[in-house]
Amino acid sequence: MKKHTFLKISIFAFILFSVLSCKKDEDNGPGSITIQLDHTVKGDPVEIENIKYTCQAGHTFSVVNLKYYLSEIELHAKDGSSISVVDVHLRDIHDLSTEQYTVEDIPDGDYNSISFIFGLDETTNVDGGLENTIENINMEWPIPGDQGYHYMKFEGRYDSLGTGVIRNFNIHTGATMGNQNYFEVSMPFSEAAVRSNSWTINVSMDLNEWLQNPNTYDFDGMEMIMMNQAAQELLKANGASVFSIASVRKN
Amino acid sequence: MKNLYFYLFCFLSLFIYLSCKKDAVPTNPGWTYDPTPYTVEYPDNFPIMVFDEDNPMTVEGVELGRMLYYDTLLHPNGDMACASCHDQSLSFASFPTVLPHVNLGWNTTFLWNGKVSGNIEDIMLFEVDDFFKTDLTKFNNHETYPKLFYEAFETEEITSVHASRALAQFLRTVISSDSRYDKIITSGSGVFPTEEELNGYDIFFTERGDCFHCHGGILFSDNLFHNNGLDAEPSANGLSEITGDPLDLGKYKTPTLRNIALTAPYMHDGRFQTLEEVVDFYSDGVQPSATIDPLMKQAHNGGINLTEEEKDDLVAFLKTLTDTTFTNNPAFSNPF
Ligand code: HEC
Ligand code: HEC
Repeated sequence: MKKHTFLKISIFAFILFSVLSCKKDEDNGPGSITIQLDHTVKGDPVEIENIKYTCQAGHTFSVVNLKYYLSEIELHAKDGSSISVVDVHLRDIHDLSTEQYTVEDIPDGDYNSISFIFGLDETTNVDGGLENTIENINMEWPIPGDQGYHYMKFEGRYDSLGTGVIRNFNIHTGATMGNQNYFEVSMPFSEAAVRSNSWTINVSMDLNEWLQNPNTYDFDGMEMIMMNQAAQELLKANGASVFSIASVRKN
Repeated sequence: MKNLYFYLFCFLSLFIYLSCKKDAVPTNPGWTYDPTPYTVEYPDNFPIMVFDEDNPMTVEGVELGRMLYYDTLLHPNGDMACASCHDQSLSFASFPTVLPHVNLGWNTTFLWNGKVSGNIEDIMLFEVDDFFKTDLTKFNNHETYPKLFYEAFETEEITSVHASRALAQFLRTVISSDSRYDKIITSGSGVFPTEEELNGYDIFFTERGDCFHCHGGILFSDNLFHNNGLDAEPSANGLSEITGDPLDLGKYKTPTLRNIALTAPYMHDGRFQTLEEVVDFYSDGVQPSATIDPLMKQAHNGGINLTEEEKDDLVAFLKTLTDTTFTNNPAFSNPF
């Protein structure tokens, strides 16, 4: 009988221990932050394959594909400290697994801004600079004389000035002819007070902003822009306004 | 209470006995399971090959897969083997519409319409179970195969899963990386392109021809589906047949262009007899439609409008993708 009592106590102790150790993870473990990358056109969620948006140049257009790299994503806290979130992230609008990126083990702190590079900097943007996955290889920028990867492939169709003639557009950005066309983005947000809990920061890209502000981007005559530095320059300038923080919330 | 412990004891003993049983000696003396691991070799500029955890590569598995590939026993009527339609000298293609077997270890989508996706083990299971409908009793009753399957997979009962895993192991080794093109881009190889080939390379890898956005990378395929503008009324036997989505009309898997000079005729329906005809199509025969791929950047001009000289250059470049080391590789040939 004594043996059984011992057994019972052991089992009880084991269960108690398990429960306690689970509880610990939820309440006192390090925090986490999830970056979520969403896309809009003029503020509305993107509706794929629907020729319904009107751009500043006067064409109605659709979004068919969208892939791009963000790199050196960092979060900054009020006390001046920073943490690195991810070196390189490839977002594909058709691949849900690329929508969110979660960093565990975020130290407690009051985070209030995010920064990243749109595209890849000169150290990464070289042939073989990224891991040889199928996805990265599909982003290669093989133009003879250039190096590295597409920063963005934004592809769709447009109705040329409402004439009913449907054409394709391809906004393919990257480094060309010795010009690095990546740019840095830094955005403040209302404080995420990480206290061993998890938060989501929703970063939004408005695709229409690539086509305006400050420069009007006209699809006509822009079929081939990979070696057109003037077009790359224009898009880079427009890129300054494409990102915004849609929300910051505790999960 | 005591009884309970007794039953528990019996149950545990039985359980341990059963789980140990797997390790017991095979019923046939002389069979041993001691496979040699196989390392798949490929150049650094190739993508990282993803393997199937449940199907570790072994010398025994690869060799067995090669036998199955060439053995008509796999077919219920015994009148054909995989190799009957997939001929090594033609990059493992043959008559119209047969897809070649080259660098399939990196593929994630299979068949023209994408009916099967996943890894090479998945397509092999489809080939064995659904396409050939292999009768496995023929293998289980065979004189030599049971031992070979035991040595590769430690099984005494051959199933279609084992057969497909062996085939998958063999096809993962069927790699082309030694074409004239591969030599040209390897510095120090001493192989240089002709002026025609170089011009063709420029057309292929710039927006002049813009072939690389779909047939790009070292595999010469993006593993995705596109409507490249063959028809004004895109056909319904492509990806849309699988997804049921009208937005997928006219979309087919991008075929690899490796060994393309060996795999005529071309396209999912074999409509073009020569590479010249294919290039004529991309130059002036492109048909816009609601689902044409945005990457067909010059569709509104009927194509990329090449000069005759540019067409010749592009064809010359495509021919640099022929790999005779591959088509003559004894490791891929008929073992019987
Ligand atoms: C009667 C001729 C024939 C035989 C025999 C045959 N195949 Fe095929 N195979 C084809 C054709 C035709 C296609 C393309 C079909 C399609 O996509 O709809 C194909 C496609 C494939 C593909 C897809 C390749 C890709 O790139 O997606 C694989 C893999 C394949 N076969 C493996 C096998 C294996 C393994 C065997 C033996 C079990 C076999 N085939 C036997 C005719 C054949
Ligand atoms: C939008 C993507 C795309 C672009 C750009 C593209 N292709 Fe293709 N290509 C395809 C697809 C998809 C097929 C298969 C189509 C089918 O069979 O219906 C194909 C088929 C081919 C074939 C026949 C392959 C076979 O095994 O039958 C050749 C050769 C070819 N393309 C060469 C080229 C060349 C050269 C260029 C540049 C001038 C080019 N392609 C541009 C997607 C593309």
